[in-house]
Amino acid sequence: MNSGLLEMLHYSQNNEMGITYFNENEQFGLGGAFMALNSDQGPSGLLLNGAMKPEPCLENGWSDDFRRILSYENVSSTIPRTLSCPPDVEAPMAEAVVGKGKEVVSSFSSSATGRESSKKRKADKTQHLKVVAEEKTEEKKMKVCEEEESKITEQNSNTKSTTTTATNSKNTKGGSANTKENSKVSEAPKADYIHVRARRGQATDSHSLAERVRREKISERMKFLQDLVPGCNKITGKAGMLDEIINYVQSLQRQVEFLSMKLAAINPRLDFDDDNYLVKEDFLACTSNIPPAPSEMVNHTHLQFNTLVQGVQGSSLNMVENPMEGMLRRTISAPISIPHTFLDSSNLNQIQHLTWEDELQNIYSTEYQQGRSTSFISQPFSGLFEANQVKMEM
Amino acid sequence: MKTPTNPSSIKTRFAIKFLQAMKKLNKKRSSSPSMADKQRRCRLIRAAACASMASAVGTRRAWSRAVLRKTVNNHQYHSVINNRRRITRRKRVVMMRRGNPREGHSGNLGEEDDILRGLVPGGEGMDFCRLLSETAHYVKCLRAQIQVMTNILDHYST
Repeated sequence: MNSGLLEMLHYSQNNEMGITYFNENEQFGLGGAFMALNSDQGPSGLLLNGAMKPEPCLENGWSDDFRRILSYENVSSTIPRTLSCPPDVEAPMAEAVVGKGKEVVSSFSSSATGRESSKKRKADKTQHLKVVAEEKTEEKKMKVCEEEESKITEQNSNTKSTTTTATNSKNTKGGSANTKENSKVSEAPKADYIHVRARRGQATDSHSLAERVRREKISERMKFLQDLVPGCNKITGKAGMLDEIINYVQSLQRQVEFLSMKLAAINPRLDFDDDNYLVKEDFLACTSNIPPAPSEMVNHTHLQFNTLVQGVQGSSLNMVENPMEGMLRRTISAPISIPHTFLDSSNLNQIQHLTWEDELQNIYSTEYQQGRSTSFISQPFSGLFEANQVKMEM
Repeated sequence: MKTPTNPSSIKTRFAIKFLQAMKKLNKKRSSSPSMADKQRRCRLIRAAACASMASAVGTRRAWSRAVLRKTVNNHQYHSVINNRRRITRRKRVVMMRRGNPREGHSGNLGEEDDILRGLVPGGEGMDFCRLLSETAHYVKCLRAQIQVMTNILDHYST
């Protein structure tokens, strides 16, 4: 503390108020501590000693005034006393000290009463604050001292503002109250630390920012999920929303299980239809690339496909309608063995040609033109197919 | 659908893959299925649906990666009965969990959080933010899956 004091002395010769402030600070801190421990005469003597210790450093004229303040304190050992009694020279100084203490108290506790605040003192306060902010190393110790001091002044002003004489009994009373106050002081720096942190801009360091960004992300995704999950809009609160999301996911999974169960039950009857469906499903799926609602388009396109095929058959293959239909069935069910190539429409046509040639050579030979025409008619289909295949690959 | 990617393409791919898998399963089917066979078949179809959905989505999502890895591991496990592989897999899951500790998230969402992690595949090793986005995508894909499966079922039952 003494080194800090010396530093302060070296630092600011013009800031006399600041120096006196810190001197008083220290001594009041010491005084407070000793007042808590000892009784009447002890603290005063020690206070005087504390006042004498830094005195060699102070070669200014106001050190005498300062000592006078301390002598007043020797009598009363309270700052309100010094406030009320001293002549006009010391009054601003002491007032500044008390004002500063009050400011610190009022920053974190509601018990402080700003009765004696005035513009002039505020100017002093700001000066002191600057000094405090500039002095980094001793700040915390000084803060504790300030708080102790301010508490003492508070206490004393509350208890002794009515009394004019400082008796020993009162002094001891103040001391005992000071011990209580000290216990309060221990939690006060925390709140003050937060204020200091916010003032210095430490709340904007990387960790806080990252946490903030993370929280924003979470809330944004929650909002997104809220849109996705039906019936989630009414619920406010994260926990309820999460519950709803969990329920929804579970219901979807159960639905999938149920559907697979149904499919397992239904398949044995219709296994031959499977491949047929696959072709149709491909068509549906591909055509449903364009419309937004595939569930209804499924049946639609399915019907379209059937009618188109029938139209082809009806128009160009009148004579061989029945065999053609059976053949189409078979050709469609043929690609089971090669499902990958079968997905390609050109391959489908080739396979159709092959099966045509293999199975129904006689019809094919006679109705070659019709076969060509069907393949040509199916060209738009294939074009669509390929386009959609490309889309799907993308 | 208001998805950034083309949802129907995912649907299409899922339908194709799922039907292929069904075809394979149909080939393997015995002529007189017992109750156990039916259950096994149901399970297989469900697994096929999950796997084909995951492969339709691809590897860009964590949940689909997890499903694919699980499928591949299962396949390997069934083809080559190897206990050591299983043990290593379990170890990896534990390490993933340890490697990504969940930082304190606000409030008491601990249990809901864990339930959701259990529901979304591969959710054990995610942080909360990631888990939410994966859940959103997973929900979308489940919806598409259900739609396609319903269509297939409708087609076969009529």
